[in-house]
Amino acid sequence: MLVFAASDKGGTGRSVTSCNVIYRRALQGSDVCYLDFDFGSPTAGAIFHITHAAHGTHGGLHSYLQGKSPEPRRLDVWAESERASLRNRPPGAGRLVLFPGDLGGGEFASNPDIVQRCASLFLRLNEEFELCLIDLSAGRSYAVDIVLAATAQPELRQVSCRWLVFHRWTRQHIIAASNLVHDERGLVETGAKRGHDRQTLADSIRFVRTAVVDPHSSDLTGLRPSQVAWLHACNQKLQELAGQMKVGRTNLLGSIPLDPVLQWREQLITDSDVWIRKIANEQTVAAFEELAKRLVDDAAWESL
Amino acid sequence: MRIIQPRQQLIEIWQAFAKASQQDEKWVWGGRDQPNSVSDAEQLLCLMRPATEIPMFKLDKPNETADDVLEALKNLGDSVALPRRLIRVLTEYMETYTDETGTPIFSAGPYLTSTTPGQEPTATQLSRLSVVDSFAISVTLSLATIGFVRVFREVVRRPNLRQEIDTLERLAKKRLSAAMLGLLRSFTVNVFPVDSEPGLVLCRTVNQVGLPRRQVVDDLQNALREINARLRENVTIGSGTGLAESLENPNKLFECGWSWGIVENAPRVDVPKEVGDQPEGVAESAPYLYFTAVALDGIRALFSRRTRLLGLLDEQQQRWAQALQLRWELTQSYWSTIATFGTGIWPLEDIPWRTTDNVESDYFTLLVTSIVVQHLVTQRRPDAELARVGGVLEELANRSRITRRPFDEDPALNLHHPGVSFNLLGSEKVGGPQLRWTVTDFSPVLLRRVLHLAGLLRDVSLRDHMLTLAGRIWEHLLQRRISEGDGRNLWDNPHGVFRSLPSGDLRPSWYYTRRVIDCLITAADLVRAQPVRNERLEHQASDLLAEAEHLFAQERLNSLFHSKGIEDTLKNIEDRLSRARQIMHERPGTAAVIAQDVLRDLDSFAAARQDSTGL
Repeated sequence: MLVFAASDKGGTGRSVTSCNVIYRRALQGSDVCYLDFDFGSPTAGAIFHITHAAHGTHGGLHSYLQGKSPEPRRLDVWAESERASLRNRPPGAGRLVLFPGDLGGGEFASNPDIVQRCASLFLRLNEEFELCLIDLSAGRSYAVDIVLAATAQPELRQVSCRWLVFHRWTRQHIIAASNLVHDERGLVETGAKRGHDRQTLADSIRFVRTAVVDPHSSDLTGLRPSQVAWLHACNQKLQELAGQMKVGRTNLLGSIPLDPVLQWREQLITDSDVWIRKIANEQTVAAFEELAKRLVDDAAWESL
Repeated sequence: MRIIQPRQQLIEIWQAFAKASQQDEKWVWGGRDQPNSVSDAEQLLCLMRPATEIPMFKLDKPNETADDVLEALKNLGDSVALPRRLIRVLTEYMETYTDETGTPIFSAGPYLTSTTPGQEPTATQLSRLSVVDSFAISVTLSLATIGFVRVFREVVRRPNLRQEIDTLERLAKKRLSAAMLGLLRSFTVNVFPVDSEPGLVLCRTVNQVGLPRRQVVDDLQNALREINARLRENVTIGSGTGLAESLENPNKLFECGWSWGIVENAPRVDVPKEVGDQPEGVAESAPYLYFTAVALDGIRALFSRRTRLLGLLDEQQQRWAQALQLRWELTQSYWSTIATFGTGIWPLEDIPWRTTDNVESDYFTLLVTSIVVQHLVTQRRPDAELARVGGVLEELANRSRITRRPFDEDPALNLHHPGVSFNLLGSEKVGGPQLRWTVTDFSPVLLRRVLHLAGLLRDVSLRDHMLTLAGRIWEHLLQRRISEGDGRNLWDNPHGVFRSLPSGDLRPSWYYTRRVIDCLITAADLVRAQPVRNERLEHQASDLLAEAEHLFAQERLNSLFHSKGIEDTLKNIEDRLSRARQIMHERPGTAAVIAQDVLRDLDSFAAARQDSTGL
């Protein structure tokens, strides 16, 4: 299965959430890989703590797609990560492979050869891994264009593709996320131009809310009651707006709470961060695990 | 005393409901009572009534469902699965209670019991006798269903789900039509000679001051003249028609309302075929107070604001609704006229009420009260009259031992268990023994009436009095909750409050739980309304505010411009004053408190200055 991670704005926590979700999926036992299609700033290596690929590598996805290298470089996270808690695959976990971008690589425009190479890579990886997560540059980027064209190729028609659109839980982000999917230059329309069926594509898109302040959380005990009352009222307004913008609960796959570790150090949250060092919140990990499960759960993708 | 908090209570009940209605991923019909068209509708209404009548509990817009509601019902599915689930369960209900010819069934199953010891009701009696209770509840449930699917359909795109929704709407519409026809054919006008037994009982009821009988009859006939005329002229379809001659007879009296089922020889209403058959009636053609109250309650939903706004009725149904509304108005004015007849104490206040078949019970007084309240509202009668009804309700709470302790072997407890029974005359005509209907819902019905009345009172202290009473009845109901087993946090366990009554059945009674939920809905309506306008408080707030504003202006004049420390405080005071001014009319109490607060702050300046003289 191919899963595409998109967002309208930068700073939504798209990459760090995707990394965490794929990591959880690997821990749940699936063979997974992560493709860094954020061509403008290839930094996925940093999230997995692979220092030598922190800002990309040689012979990465840029080189492969542009035809400069026959295969993109792959890094086994369990072997290459410098973080002690990530080293060595835990028993029962699946493979976790990172496909980084090129060191110093930048955005590049699409052409039929690139689309072809992209499609054949997807096809191969889809056979090798149970889940491939492709992290796309923010906004209406070349990366989005390339993968929409690639997945419309006849040989990829049978491969199941799902889209996650990340947005923060604020008025502006809700509107932006909705537009990224639904407006005239949005994913659905662009996809349709590339040969996708509008409805099928729209049905395969779900939203993920990030950095959400849960107004029901016990963490808010420090707030004054009037602040909590205000928060509830705001939350309800946002919910109504989201419903109108088609970003509401019926199109929601998961919700990641606000967590200081994610805010200040964009990294994977391991169990030891929660249980031993106690710097990250249990709810955050629970949200990642839930999202990792729902990602492949057909019932969660059933629409109304 | 506990203040009723409808949201918190309903959430708790829904949680228990979701647990009790689902086992092994499957919907469970019936609790204490075997599934039947009344009990199953009661079960569904536990969910559907709050969901369609209180905005915070709506389930038809999955994107906007409240978080606490979702959490409470998560056993039944998430915000997307839940409405889908509801559609299926509602459809199952509609299909189960439709016979092979496509005619909706309004049977009451085990709610009907035999009056003859040793002779059980026959299968035909249990599954084929239509009862008014089922008609009335079907009206409510069908309207809730149609409204629900209308809104929910807007977010649904998948063709097969849309199809399910269309099917459900069609079934609900049909059931609604059939239920309305049933109500039109179970309405009855009972005419009897002045010197017959019913005539004598009626005269005794209305004659509270000992007038000569002939005069009472004259006065009564006078008071009922208009109702009598409209019954003769305007009631033209269904049952209760063709009585012009006997209604005109000056030696006769009458009563009107609903019998327990379709009355014997009720004419069929001329309708298109697709509504289904109209079965032959067997019920005695005389009104039963209980079924009259139930029917009035169901009919009211037909012309509620929601029904009109959402346009839930089609053209045909609208015509029937008008016909029913006429009967609703006439019945209500009839019973109110009787209950408040004369110049002395009201017949209603002469507890217990005696029906014309010479049976008396506090329960009948309660039923008449509910009819009277509704009527007083439409008549815009003064608070003093409403307060008299309040007095009756209070007395009933005492007499039924809700607010008083029972003594040993207190017969009043029979109201709660085993309940009040009445014989359904005519039910034996389909073969089998004569049947009986038993009601045990005294407490929730009483609470609902008290809440309703409290909402209507404009006088603050009268209202407060009623709310205090409501709080005590609510406490009584809370103690009657089942505390363990399948029905935990649902109703009913009378042993919880009356130790002498048997305990035992831990399964939920949807009959009782639904009635408690009705109370909470009434309570939510009451809470959602604006606070009663209190002129005394408004005057006080306005006076305080005037003084505060004046002193503030003085302070402005006295303090130096641009004096930072003072400036901030004064700005803050100005903001608070403008807030107080803004909310003065809706919340005079709050405005008064803000004004007081400001006055205290301003005084600290004045006091400090005074001190500067050093004396």
